[in-house]
Amino acid sequence: MVLKQFFVGARREQAVIGGIKKHIELLCSACETFKLALKAGDRNRMRLVPEMEREGDIIRRGIISLIYEGAFLPYLRPNLCRFVEVVDDVFDCLQETAQHSLNITVPEQLLGECVRVAHLNHRMCEMLLFTFETTMEGKDLREKALAVRIYEKKIDDIKIGILKDARKIPVASFWEGESLSNFLSGLTNISNIIEDATDSLQIINVSMR
Amino acid sequence: MWKVSSGLFLGWSLGANHTGNVFGTGVATGVVTYRTAIWLTALYILLGALLEGPKCMNVVGTLSHLSTLDAFACALAAAITMTVLTFLGLPASTSHAIIGAITGIGIFTGSADFAKLYRIVVCWVLTPVSGLVFAYTLQKVLSFLLDFAVPSLTLRNFIYSVGIIISGCYAAYSLGGNSVANVTGVYVSAGMLSVQDATLFGGLSIAMGTLTYSRKVMLSVGKGIVPLDPFSAMVAVLAEAATLHLFTQLGVPVSSSQAIVGALVGVGLVKDSRTVSRTMLVRIGVGWLCTPVAAGVIVLLLVKLASAGTGSPIFF
Amino acid sequence: MNVTEFMTTKIESIEADQMVYDAIERMVDRRIRSLLVIFPGDAKNAGVITARDVVSRVLAQNKDSRAVKVADIASRPIVCIDKDTTLDKAVGLMEARGIARVFICDRDAIIGVLSMLDVMAGVLIMRARGDHGA
Repeated sequence: MVLKQFFVGARREQAVIGGIKKHIELLCSACETFKLALKAGDRNRMRLVPEMEREGDIIRRGIISLIYEGAFLPYLRPNLCRFVEVVDDVFDCLQETAQHSLNITVPEQLLGECVRVAHLNHRMCEMLLFTFETTMEGKDLREKALAVRIYEKKIDDIKIGILKDARKIPVASFWEGESLSNFLSGLTNISNIIEDATDSLQIINVSMR
Repeated sequence: MWKVSSGLFLGWSLGANHTGNVFGTGVATGVVTYRTAIWLTALYILLGALLEGPKCMNVVGTLSHLSTLDAFACALAAAITMTVLTFLGLPASTSHAIIGAITGIGIFTGSADFAKLYRIVVCWVLTPVSGLVFAYTLQKVLSFLLDFAVPSLTLRNFIYSVGIIISGCYAAYSLGGNSVANVTGVYVSAGMLSVQDATLFGGLSIAMGTLTYSRKVMLSVGKGIVPLDPFSAMVAVLAEAATLHLFTQLGVPVSSSQAIVGALVGVGLVKDSRTVSRTMLVRIGVGWLCTPVAAGVIVLLLVKLASAGTGSPIFF
Repeated sequence: MNVTEFMTTKIESIEADQMVYDAIERMVDRRIRSLLVIFPGDAKNAGVITARDVVSRVLAQNKDSRAVKVADIASRPIVCIDKDTTLDKAVGLMEARGIARVFICDRDAIIGVLSMLDVMAGVLIMRARGDHGA
């Protein structure tokens, strides 16, 4: 019976890993969709992002259930769940930013830099996926973590310029200004949450050594 | 035969107090449930007692000259001491308690074998040291091997799960083999039980203690001393098991509590000595010192009570 | 991956007839090491002024930075590469020319600048992506 438990546990663990991978791949897809929609001003495409976020929620719930049904050592479970929740936070932030973008027209002066940030967010998501795969293989995460931090720093630098330029843009009303502000805030915050997710992976990696 | 009841009570106290040293770290890290831990422990303690128990029987019973009533009083005094320390949540040493009681009677009657006692005390001192050395070495070697051969997270997860259970079973087996002499060795010396009967009854009484009253100490050992990850938990218990097994081969019953604490310190040293809780170590150290003294005092009180009851000294 | 992945898009510029003192002020304030120099009436033929130029050609020679124009110490023309150039080629060019930065152009428009720091960051990122396919 103990042996049976081990085999079932191993299958659950593979299912959890597969689920998390799928979750992050979906996030990458969502970021790419957001970037392309923003670049082309394609609102229909932008509306796909909230749908992808809902799909991500379903995957997340499945992963958490599997973890607490007995995948991985109890010691590791809270860290894994924390990582999955942080990835979900990225999804939530991306979805909110997409919603805000539907309420505004991004000013021409800011569009180029906003698209660049969206592109870097997409790259960061890809790097997060590589980092997760590397964590599961038990290899050193240093290079990947550094790459994520480099991207995050780049976005921070661009953010300063964007906010400076945004102040020069006249707005017709308080709500228009607020929507623009929320959009810019969300867009530049996604990278911070992805960095947090990478830090969570570092913790998982170290805790099993 | 009612006189063996104190030994069975002592065995029950030992089981209640020492199961924590076997699966405490495993339960604390969540690898095994408390229920699984106690049943595995009970089974392997009995196995260890039957197969390895006879090796230590000789030492305990020949420390002092004991009559059947002395044997009863020693076991009862040791049992009372262990129960009180278990209630206080302190891991304590049955071997210290029984040796303290036997020595108490030996001093009173002038039959104590101090040369043998000296040998036993040396082994007591070496027990935590041995635990530390085994743990430190195992931690370094296994860590290197795992980093080299098993980097994958899922495979490590599997190895830790299996390793904690195997090391717990080995520790229970070693505990049974080393400690059963503390429980029923006095009766073998007093001619009341054969070695086979002593290992069987002793093993069963320890197993019963494990099954019925081990929760409190199990949690305090696992969580109180060093914050442990699954790998360190596995190494600490393996080191403890190896230490007990070593001293069983030497024929000397030693303290599993000292072995596990030495092992935990050894594990803590590899990572960072600041992870060891000094307050808890001091509390445990005080418990160890008090155990033989308390057991010696209690056995003398029991003897005095018995003398007062019968109206004559019971030793002559 | 090409140079557009790693370039900096925010390019600070200064008019050629401004003083070196203004350039110093801007570089220190923004914590940057170079400025694009715009020559009046000749926007397509820009120059570049770097921190090294300021230090070696003005400060080290005890010249008054308020008395020297940017145009006097700017390097011209700037070195430009196409946006589809790979990072390796860009590095090779910088090494061959002995320059610490190169401008990225899309036809005639300057769209970004690639500095040594950007190159190092790019190499690290490509290395991190390496075994997973860039």
